[in-house]
Amino acid sequence: MNKIVAMAAKDIHILFRDKLGFFFTVFFPLMMAIFFGAMFAGLSRGPANVPIALVDQDRTSASERFIERLGQASGLAVEQIPREEALEQVRRGRTAVLVTLTPGFGAALDNPFVTTPEVEMTVDPTQFAVAGMVRGVLLEAAGAELQDLMSDPARLGAANSQNSLFFESLPPSSARDDMLTFLDLSPRVSSLIDEMGLGAATGGNQGFFGPPLEIAQTEVQAERPGPTNSYATSFAQAMLWTLIGGSVSFSMSIAIERSRGTLMRLLVAPVTARHLLAAKGLACLGATLFASSALITLGITVFDVRPTSYPLLVLALLCGSICFCGIMMALSVIGGTEQAAAGIGWGLSLPLSMLGGGMVPLFLMPEWMQRLANISPMKWTLMAYEGAIWRGFTLNEMLPPCAVLVAIGVIAFTLGARRLRWDTG
Amino acid sequence: MLVFDHVSKSFGDLRAVDDLSFEVEAGEVFGLLGPNGAGKTTAINMAVGLLEPDEGVVRFADEAFDRNPRDAENRRSLGLAPQSIALYEQIGGADNLRFFGRLHGLRGSDLEERVVACLDFADLTDVGKKVVSKYSGGMKRRLNLAVAIIHDPELVLLDEPTVGVDPQSRNAIFERVEQLRDGGKQVVYTTHYMEEAQRLCDRVAIIDRGRLMALDTVPALIGAHGGPGNLVVRTGEGESRHETTDPLGTLAELQARQAVDHFQYLPPDLETVFLNLTGRALRD
Repeated sequence: MNKIVAMAAKDIHILFRDKLGFFFTVFFPLMMAIFFGAMFAGLSRGPANVPIALVDQDRTSASERFIERLGQASGLAVEQIPREEALEQVRRGRTAVLVTLTPGFGAALDNPFVTTPEVEMTVDPTQFAVAGMVRGVLLEAAGAELQDLMSDPARLGAANSQNSLFFESLPPSSARDDMLTFLDLSPRVSSLIDEMGLGAATGGNQGFFGPPLEIAQTEVQAERPGPTNSYATSFAQAMLWTLIGGSVSFSMSIAIERSRGTLMRLLVAPVTARHLLAAKGLACLGATLFASSALITLGITVFDVRPTSYPLLVLALLCGSICFCGIMMALSVIGGTEQAAAGIGWGLSLPLSMLGGGMVPLFLMPEWMQRLANISPMKWTLMAYEGAIWRGFTLNEMLPPCAVLVAIGVIAFTLGARRLRWDTG
Repeated sequence: MLVFDHVSKSFGDLRAVDDLSFEVEAGEVFGLLGPNGAGKTTAINMAVGLLEPDEGVVRFADEAFDRNPRDAENRRSLGLAPQSIALYEQIGGADNLRFFGRLHGLRGSDLEERVVACLDFADLTDVGKKVVSKYSGGMKRRLNLAVAIIHDPELVLLDEPTVGVDPQSRNAIFERVEQLRDGGKQVVYTTHYMEEAQRLCDRVAIIDRGRLMALDTVPALIGAHGGPGNLVVRTGEGESRHETTDPLGTLAELQARQAVDHFQYLPPDLETVFLNLTGRALRD
């Protein structure tokens, strides 16, 4: 037993002496725990608010009251913007849902006994889970409106007066008389419920007239092209992982050259360090470009992925590869050995991928984390790929993510290259 | 001619090379000996241009001009066989030679001629197409050496070229080094094996703590720093060892006292010189 304990103690001792092993055993899981905890719990500030765009075409006090209620609902961050801009936002993936309050919404909200209030919901088809959540919040808000109406004799009376005029205009019948009697009594019943404090206990009167809100849902491709199928989004992510894998592999190749002595042999040859770095960069660029191009070609030919713009797809592929070439060079000098290069490469890539939306959609993250995601090259790569594959970006829309990718690539490559030269000579 | 002219190099507080001066002539095998941490690798790295001296100059001097090995173009004049096997193991031996030949500017038939010549030099002609990972340790060592001379350099630096090989391969490498010398190359040879230096090197520089302790031919070094030899005698009382510079005289004295059954004279050698100059304390 002592021998077993001694050997186990030795292994633990070695593990904790190995900084990389220690990192992956202790700090990496800790980092993951903090990341997911922060993402799903918002670091003790409650769940993240899902951004939705809202267009008020009704512009009545009732619609304003409804918007205010939505703004107070937990889980939503409502932004009122012009409809065209809102549609653009949904198409670009910045907003998952656009809610439009059409003309007549306010009148129906104040008097739902004749016409059920109706809203239009335009959703990003990839964000169906968010759409379901927003639908629930809208119904809840409309239900609360109905409850308020039923418990407010003045508002209910005003609505009933309006409805009485309508029923009085109908030909005499026992049904018309019964309805008029009900409309006359209902404010008094409402007052009684209020006086007896039964409103909260009974949960209000919602449901009496059916669903409190009609939601007409359309997908964003009704106006602009969206993904042809689920492979359009999954292939964009797969291409991102190709870049990540390629950059980590190439960063290891430099470390391997260093550890096996061939780097020294190369540097002793009549080539400059610039030649050497250019060759490594070119190899990485070529390999990642080839791999990501092969993937999307497969997606197009076999899985019916239909890019919205082939020239922009080429641009996105090129910029993504440039970015990850730079990252490769930076990783290669951070990790002195192949094990360290691989460990650091994956150790950085995984959290940056998570942060950049490579695993979980960005809108599900807290706002601070979404802002932080701007530092992740993965976010910009996905944005560029999706922009060319299914979001239908224009050249102007494609330029910002591409510029960011190229800038990251150039800066990382330059820093890595300078460090590599210094490191070896 | 490789020239180290009062060269010094420090890393932080550590003075790795301290005022080192020597010249390597054409057709000479120049041994660089020293204990671990003596500064041999730093000197080699400066010779091939990977490091720049803090003080002094390293240059390839010839009749026309001095050339700095830091300039990439001047590196065509030198070939390095690093201590580690610096080869691409996933490709063939001939392809390794071809790749490094191209880096040195060889093309077409010139390149192919050199590849054939170097495979022959390393006695690897039959296995040139085989991937290097399938080679034995000795074959890899010979290819490591062949790659250093693919571009027919004037100066060849061999950093412990026989580490980890069997006696046959070691002997083969010795023969190749002698071929290089006979071909007029300058060879800088670092090793821990004194018998190698004694056999191969025309001159030997012993360095310790970055400083040049001695530089001369092996016999001259032994004469100057070897001290007395050892006469080992066996008598009826057992074996005894006697330091002496006059073995015959000492043997006669011993014989006069008692019958000597067996004797052996161990003259001072390069190892004795090395230990006398660098001390017997362990270096880590």
